[in-house]
Amino acid sequence: MIELRNVIKKFGGRMAVDDLSLTVPPGEIFGLLGHNGAGKSTAIGMMLGQVWPTSGSVFVCGHDVTAHRHAALLKVGAIFETPVFYDYLSGWRNLKILSAYSAPTPPERIRTVIDWVGLTGREHSKVRTYSHGMRSRLALAQALLPRPELLILDEPGDGLDPEGMHEMRRMILRLHRELGLTILLSSHLLNEVEQLCTRFAVLQQGRKVFEGTVAEVRTAPGKVLLKTPDFAAATALLRDRGLITGAAEKRFITLAAGRSTAEVARALVSAGLLVEGIWQQEQSVEDFYLSLVKTPPRN
Amino acid sequence: MFIAQIKNELGKLFGKKRTYLGFGILLATQFLISTLFRYTHVTRPLERVLEGNGYAATPCLSVLTIATYMLIPLNDLLLPLFAALIGGDLVAKEAEDGTLRMILSRPISRVRLLVTKWLAGFVFSTVLIGLLGLFGLVCAGIYFPWGKFAYWNPVLDIFGVFDGGTGLQRYLLAHLLMVAEAFFILSLAFMFSCFNIKPAAATILALSLLFASVIMEKLFRDYQDWFPTWHTHVWQWFFLEHVPWWQVGESACILAGFTATFLVVGCMVFQMRDIKT
Repeated sequence: MIELRNVIKKFGGRMAVDDLSLTVPPGEIFGLLGHNGAGKSTAIGMMLGQVWPTSGSVFVCGHDVTAHRHAALLKVGAIFETPVFYDYLSGWRNLKILSAYSAPTPPERIRTVIDWVGLTGREHSKVRTYSHGMRSRLALAQALLPRPELLILDEPGDGLDPEGMHEMRRMILRLHRELGLTILLSSHLLNEVEQLCTRFAVLQQGRKVFEGTVAEVRTAPGKVLLKTPDFAAATALLRDRGLITGAAEKRFITLAAGRSTAEVARALVSAGLLVEGIWQQEQSVEDFYLSLVKTPPRN
Repeated sequence: MFIAQIKNELGKLFGKKRTYLGFGILLATQFLISTLFRYTHVTRPLERVLEGNGYAATPCLSVLTIATYMLIPLNDLLLPLFAALIGGDLVAKEAEDGTLRMILSRPISRVRLLVTKWLAGFVFSTVLIGLLGLFGLVCAGIYFPWGKFAYWNPVLDIFGVFDGGTGLQRYLLAHLLMVAEAFFILSLAFMFSCFNIKPAAATILALSLLFASVIMEKLFRDYQDWFPTWHTHVWQWFFLEHVPWWQVGESACILAGFTATFLVVGCMVFQMRDIKT
């Protein structure tokens, strides 16, 4: 659905996106994770033909965005971090105006999307009277107008209260489930990506430093909790046998590559050391992300 | 779709209260000027010139004459200001507010978007001038009767006296060329609006260039027709007894050429720039 090939974007002398390659297959909720200024919005700008890449190519829905923007964006909806509209016009009028930039849209379609996002009854009120949550829903409505196959969401939860964020996440999952949309979600909120995305990429200083699934991150070899009366003797033994590479806080061990908790338990028990408990700690996306961003990107 | 897009641009333009505030200011100013014409002796010089040329002054102090005299200060000051304000807002305000990013996430080309905005600007120019002419007639009509039409401009060396019917024709023709003038100014501000600058900066740049052109035109009178603002006075030539059609056509073409150039430059700049928040 989206493919970026070795994309570079420089603003003057500043490198905003550095050799970014990314593929978002159809049907996925793909997260683009990174702190503010990591290059997420620039990457999205290039996907929407708003920012010209310095080099590389960007394909959306099978079309080169730079050369065939119209074909590429025909079935794309987008939401940006702060939903802005023509405040002095009604929600309905805003949707009518925005739909005219895609294709002729019958009033029934506008009514359907208004109903879908739960704005029925307020569609003829001026947007200046809308709460932030209502604006976000209107933003979603405008994105849904062209019956998109791909939805690009640039930090959609920004500025929403916890209830609004929950509502927005529920809506995203519903869109994916009921309409089968491919969704690209840019966020700096780790739990948002963890809750919604099947796969995600982490950007740091314009570079992709990770791409994989949330499941991969969670099951990645990490810390193992070992409960034993003599932690020092146990770790010394395990080190001697090459089963672990590290120990911390008198309760955590790091398994050596290819080793399992079962092997560790067997080794300790056979050496006569008591094992009260041993289990793999599931790594959170947050831990993983922090470990990534603490590491400076490779040159 | 193209017509729908232009209608939407007009909807945005005429949906703002500020647009009507401008029209309200025009009406109030014209009413004030008309009142001053009625209760002061500001028409004395015209009366003397008319009598000196063998015309009775009183029948010439009519709706058309006063409405046309009111056009001069409005044309020199308020018209450029309104046209530049609207032109400067057309793109830059949307970029500043963030709505441009939302529009450009849709499959409309940048050039097409600009052309729709530019054409909406043309409609606005026409409405602005139409209202200027109409308000002039209404405000002058409060105090002055229908009658002959007289016009005297010593700076441009224009003097003409016409019956009411011919006067009205000339008045309407003058307004047609004022539309070209308003659109020229609006397009200049529109061009700057396509750059990555604030709307106020686009308006100020356009007005600065216009004022610079006026200053140059006045300083170098031998070369005055080299400066575009000189051609914005062309509407007054319709008040000569024999209209210099060739000169009117030449000036109209020069204004149209500048206007089209502003659009092309604006499109090129807008096409190349990155749209970011």
